Amino acid sequence: MTAASGVDAASTIAVVGTGVAGTTAALTLRNAGFTGRVVLIGDEPDEPYRRPPLSKDVLRGTMSPGRTRLRAPDTWSQHSIELRTDTRVSGVDAEARRIIFADGTGLDFDRILLATGGLPKVLPQARGVGGVYTLRTLADVSALHGVLAAGSRLLVIGAGLIGSEVAATARDMDCAVTVLEAQPAPLSRVLPREITRVYEELHRASGVDLHTGVDVRELIHEGDQLAATDAGGRVHSADAAVVAVGLDPRTELAEHAGIATGDGIIVDEHFATSAPGVYAAGDVANHPNHVLGGRQRVEHWLNAQEQGAAAARAMLGDRTPYSCVPWSWSDQHGVTMHVCGWPEAAEDLTVRGEPGARDFTAIARRHGRVVGAVGMNRPAELRALRKVVSAAPHAEQAVLADPATELASLASLEVAGTSS
Amino acid sequence: MKIYRCEVCGFEYDESQGWPDEGIAPGTKWEDIPEDWCCPDCGAAKADFVMVEVSPA
Repeated sequence: MTAASGVDAASTIAVVGTGVAGTTAALTLRNAGFTGRVVLIGDEPDEPYRRPPLSKDVLRGTMSPGRTRLRAPDTWSQHSIELRTDTRVSGVDAEARRIIFADGTGLDFDRILLATGGLPKVLPQARGVGGVYTLRTLADVSALHGVLAAGSRLLVIGAGLIGSEVAATARDMDCAVTVLEAQPAPLSRVLPREITRVYEELHRASGVDLHTGVDVRELIHEGDQLAATDAGGRVHSADAAVVAVGLDPRTELAEHAGIATGDGIIVDEHFATSAPGVYAAGDVANHPNHVLGGRQRVEHWLNAQEQGAAAARAMLGDRTPYSCVPWSWSDQHGVTMHVCGWPEAAEDLTVRGEPGARDFTAIARRHGRVVGAVGMNRPAELRALRKVVSAAPHAEQAVLADPATELASLASLEVAGTSS
Repeated sequence: MKIYRCEVCGFEYDESQGWPDEGIAPGTKWEDIPEDWCCPDCGAAKADFVMVEVSPA
């Protein structure tokens, strides 16, 4: 620990949020040698757990909730991390550096990390309607699993990553699945148009009744039946509905503390917020994008993990700017996709392999620079491309398309420098 | 029989189960899996796995 860090063995670091960003931060503080007090606070009743399997194996019932535990139960005490689950923070006084809990007690801190994640966006038409579910927590998935049985009819509103995975899992469970997506294609926020077609085909070939470009006008629950009327007047009936239309970052603690927010909590490349001593990481953090320029908020598992670790090191005085490239994956209908960087920002796309055969890597360029990739069945190429995207070199499409090109070698070809 | 966990995403490879989806028969030892094998979920390299003691839950 350097003197510059401003924390020592007498300091307290509080972490709010027991998702992967918060828990990784707490463990990283210890691994980096911090010997002061670490308090890890979450409002969920469960011990820290992994969310990625929730929309897949846990919903399907092939993985027990206990197997989603992030760490063995004694990990926290072994690392002298004070884990407080089921604990709601009602306010943070950034100036006095004090947390106020919902039960009226307080906690003084020297540094605090807000890793508060987000909550599923509410669809106004679905507010207060019976038979409507969202999927974010273990409690959510357990409730939804309880109403899905073979033959039951599920309506999924929103075909982003969660909605698409829930639809695929429900088909695995022999449910009849209808998906309504407002955008012209599924996954259109994360994938280029050419690749969303692969998913349209995959959903339909797997028996999902997919409707795109469709807004839900009205949702009615009557006598155990749900009826969704779309903007075209068509009625879709179901036994249950899942609303998966995105995530609202949980910024309320930061806002009430007078900390700058705007699609998340605004942080710099060291995860510092506008208030001294207050940091934010994970789904809630709105941080600089070192490749495309501008700012971004990333809602993926690995990024939350990497940001939690980086924020912890920054709280201890490490001045290395954060420069990890987003990485995510999705399992649907037995097909796994890997994504790195920002393929949705593509101006052109170079495809290696055969998308129709679900064996391909598609490389996205913007201003002639490699900025992202998506692939199926080619994880090694995607891993190489993640390093390439970090350097964002200029590369000709002919070179990218050539099967003889060693993609990893592109990372060292040319470093583009600062983003344009 | 041992269990190996992907340090990136938490996927577990159980030697007793193998991974039949990719033709890895039940009982296949970790060291007998090809080095270019990847995590079936997140795509991490084989080198990113660690051996773990897992209690049934």
